[in-house]
Amino acid sequence: MPLPAWLIRPGTVPYDVANAAMHRLAERRLADEIPDTVILLEHPPVFTAGRRAKVDELLWSPDEVEARGGLVRMIDRGGSFTFHGPGQLVGYPILGLGSRPDAVDYLRRLEEAVIGICADVGVASDRRADVQTGVWVGDDKICAIGVRLMRARVTLHGFALNCETDLSWFRGIVACGLPDRGQTSISAQLGRRVDVSDVLPLAERHLAEVFDLSFEPAPDEIVTAFQVADAV
Amino acid sequence: MTSIQMPQLGETIVEGTILKWLKREGDAVARDEPLFEISTDKVDTEVPSPVAGTVTKILVDEGATVPVGTALMEISEAGAAASGDAAASGDAAASGDAAASGDGATSSGDAAASGDAASSPASGAAPTTEPTPEPSGGAASSEGSSAAPPPAAVTPPAAPAVPAAPAAPVAPAAAASVPAAVATVPDRGPRSQILSPLVRRLAKEHDLDLAQIAGTGSGGRITKADVMAVISSGGQVAPATAGATAPVTAPAQPMPAPSAGIGEEIVPVSHIRRAIAEHMLASTQTSARAWTMVEVNVDHLVKLRERIKATFQERYGLKITYLPMVVRATVDALLEYPDVNARLDGDNIVRHRFVNMGIAVSYDAGLIVPVIKGADGMNTIGVARAIADLAARARSHQLRPDEVQGATFTITNPGPYGSVASVPIINQPNVGILSFDAIVKRPVVIDDAIAIRSMVNISMSWDHRVIDGEAATRFLARVKENLETWDFAEDLGV
Amino acid sequence: MATQQVEAGAAGHGAEPRGKRGEDGQATYLIAIAEALWEEMERDDRVFMLGEDIGVYGGAFKVTEGFIDRFGPERVMDTPIAEETIVGMSVGAAMEGLRPVAEFQYADFMSSGFDEITTVLSRYHYRAGVPLPVVLRGPSGGGVRASSFHSINPEPWYAYAGGIKIMCPAFPSDAKGLLKSAIRDDNPSLFLEHKWIYRRIKEEVSEDPELLVPIGSADVKREGSDVSIITYGAMVHKALEAADALAQRGISAEIVDLRTVYPLDEETILRSIEKTSRALVLYESYRFLGIGTEVAAVIAEKAFEHLDAPVVRLAPPNVPVPFSPPLEDAFLPQIADIEAAVDRLAGW
Repeated sequence: MPLPAWLIRPGTVPYDVANAAMHRLAERRLADEIPDTVILLEHPPVFTAGRRAKVDELLWSPDEVEARGGLVRMIDRGGSFTFHGPGQLVGYPILGLGSRPDAVDYLRRLEEAVIGICADVGVASDRRADVQTGVWVGDDKICAIGVRLMRARVTLHGFALNCETDLSWFRGIVACGLPDRGQTSISAQLGRRVDVSDVLPLAERHLAEVFDLSFEPAPDEIVTAFQVADAV
Repeated sequence: MTSIQMPQLGETIVEGTILKWLKREGDAVARDEPLFEISTDKVDTEVPSPVAGTVTKILVDEGATVPVGTALMEISEAGAAASGDAAASGDAAASGDAAASGDGATSSGDAAASGDAASSPASGAAPTTEPTPEPSGGAASSEGSSAAPPPAAVTPPAAPAVPAAPAAPVAPAAAASVPAAVATVPDRGPRSQILSPLVRRLAKEHDLDLAQIAGTGSGGRITKADVMAVISSGGQVAPATAGATAPVTAPAQPMPAPSAGIGEEIVPVSHIRRAIAEHMLASTQTSARAWTMVEVNVDHLVKLRERIKATFQERYGLKITYLPMVVRATVDALLEYPDVNARLDGDNIVRHRFVNMGIAVSYDAGLIVPVIKGADGMNTIGVARAIADLAARARSHQLRPDEVQGATFTITNPGPYGSVASVPIINQPNVGILSFDAIVKRPVVIDDAIAIRSMVNISMSWDHRVIDGEAATRFLARVKENLETWDFAEDLGV
Repeated sequence: MATQQVEAGAAGHGAEPRGKRGEDGQATYLIAIAEALWEEMERDDRVFMLGEDIGVYGGAFKVTEGFIDRFGPERVMDTPIAEETIVGMSVGAAMEGLRPVAEFQYADFMSSGFDEITTVLSRYHYRAGVPLPVVLRGPSGGGVRASSFHSINPEPWYAYAGGIKIMCPAFPSDAKGLLKSAIRDDNPSLFLEHKWIYRRIKEEVSEDPELLVPIGSADVKREGSDVSIITYGAMVHKALEAADALAQRGISAEIVDLRTVYPLDEETILRSIEKTSRALVLYESYRFLGIGTEVAAVIAEKAFEHLDAPVVRLAPPNVPVPFSPPLEDAFLPQIADIEAAVDRLAGW
């Protein structure tokens, strides 16, 4: 029996705005004021790093990053440096996992959804439990996954699937703390352009399926939080 | 006291690292407020508190990586007089020092369950039963606690055993997975913390505090009927109180010490003594106390004990005394006469469908009443072990707060000290307290001839508000009949 | 309930003439079934019957006594002892537009035609798009000292096939109305008549030939508030007696008679659980993989938050039905067993 859930697709949103709005939504989800919510969007170029990130994994200096038009942000998830930017589908599912959360199961389902999306566009991918959470094509990562829980029961952050991301950005970091692994994207795998808008409906369908959700658009006042410069 | 453990955030996650404590010892914490941040190999999170209270202990340093399930901190719940490790009761009668509840009052099990009570219901039935020597009741000289305890094989309370075998397990997983719900349901009986799915849902939908609902189901379980009664009476009732007037704690200002007169010695009242005094006085002011006695011929029990005591000691590692047999006989009578195994709660007589037997134990600090939970599910050996264990730990001051609460009936055994009849004070909120005095050889008339038999007086102080003389007498007659006719040899496995 | 338990005729070859209701106008379960067959044969020429000894002899249990005189040997067809062929013939006839009702002398013997039933009959519509309005009927169940060749409750075997509707009525009115529905239904059906009930239960039965009982609907035979007993077949009657005894002790049992065991009427079952919060699933087929197993799973899955106690099944062990009377009594759930199970549930 699928649970009703909200879907927010606000387009390209600056990282800070989205991060703040996501946290506020998670608080409301904790209080059971809103249903499970999924946000699918893109970010302007930004490097984010979690707790385990080592400073020397940022290979470009912050000035260099800024000169290229990017930002650096340290955030509250685990994991090391990763990149978000145009051409990459970023998904933030804000789901209540219940009083007995199984984070491992949640991550596995996210991987499964992304693997399904890739399969739909013709890219064979899989999980590499032995290496790291995420979705891989051979030795290259096509989708990073990094998650945090709020109060041990509501999910934050999520996944970042390279559709036609400019992979050269990844040279600025030791991505995910794995110096010997490469990055790839759907477009790179297929040799033709597949952009975020092509992938969005597939993402919606696969997320609905693995989490047994029935999406409806979120109310306007929820969506505008992602669109205003200083979200209230 | 609630123990906060390293949570398991996923099946394959086996350890976590404390990144940062968000609360320090002594801080107040609200329910669901974050206590600390952890990091695991898959996910980070802050961990919220399942209860409201005060942080009493932090057990692990920041930066430490510990296995899932490791105790990390202790929280003493709101309303508790946080006094060291004898955390007193939660919402209702805060009876000061929980370690000293004598014949007077027990704080009716309203205390929030301690962390270890929030374990599986089956183990809640038989808390600890490592056998050690008998209590004050059983032997005139308290034997040294020398025996190494053999493994305790306690029978859990009679769980429903459908012959065609039930499809579902007896006890739903009401345990630590829902720490909030279970931790706030007091340990009032062996199954008082089993919350069925229906009960949980109704409580959630109607915003009820399950801790305040008396469970009348088997083993103290809160049933659908219990919850529906609250809902249809318009909402949450006032906290189920002990029935006794809550004894007040020490007065704000100590009285000035009187000076000793000639021929006088001043001994300040210990605070255990004061608690006993308050409970005793409150008990006499609460119950309409009456008293009945029966004479019981226990000649065959004396002979039995002579015959088997060596074998019993050898086989079970403890001395067999009469008290476990009296307990067994009494349990049967209590189940037969449920009004005696009850308490008065406002206008209702709450009958318990299980027996938590309080055993009065005399020790250096005075008097204490440890409770054998689920005594109705034990055979005589189990009772003997439970008594031995509780008494030993009473004397070494090692009883836990939940072990001195929740009695549904009490037995006192002053016999070893020589009394042939006693009029004990009721241990509130019980309806009765049974006294088992000295066994004495006496001339008795049998078939119109005089014979010498071992006789004992068994008497009961009982609350005339709840039962009448006929019930009390019938009850005692049943205890007598059980003691006089049962074959304890079989039950003792010798 | 306007039913009575009447003197049992001898198992199998009884002497009660067909077509006779009692002087009070009530019909036994067996007569009600005979009436259904007669009325449907009259209503629709395509309906015909086949089976061992049903024509000249009038049927092993005398259900079809008198039929051959009225409808002729081509519509009341005596067959050899060849169950597989009986089913095969029914399949063929149905393909040709006829509506066969095949009698099995004892439901136990249906398994001689197991493959034809499960591989052909139940799947034919899926394979060829051709509906097969076949009714297989026969006496099932035990408690009559007929031992393991004549006491089977075979419904789980055929429910597993997936394409056959299976009915196990407990009362005469239900039997009549359901058999008529089965004959009129274009899907294959298995209509199991519990032989213990044949002559023991009678009640007022409507004479209206158009009165049908819908397939797939359960019926609350006794309202209650403390425990739901979900059951079917002869066990319904035992449950009703147990409920009387329980009522004297202040336990109010609700009894849900499934009537159709495949497909299950989940709604009625769940509604009862919502009311009582306790479920005893009582059935006569073997405990392991019986119909009750499915009922218990549905309740646990869909009514979890309404349960105040575990879902409990009561059914015989998976052993051949004993011949010796005390053993058969021990094998079957008795009224005392039902009471004890309800007691435990109520006190859980």
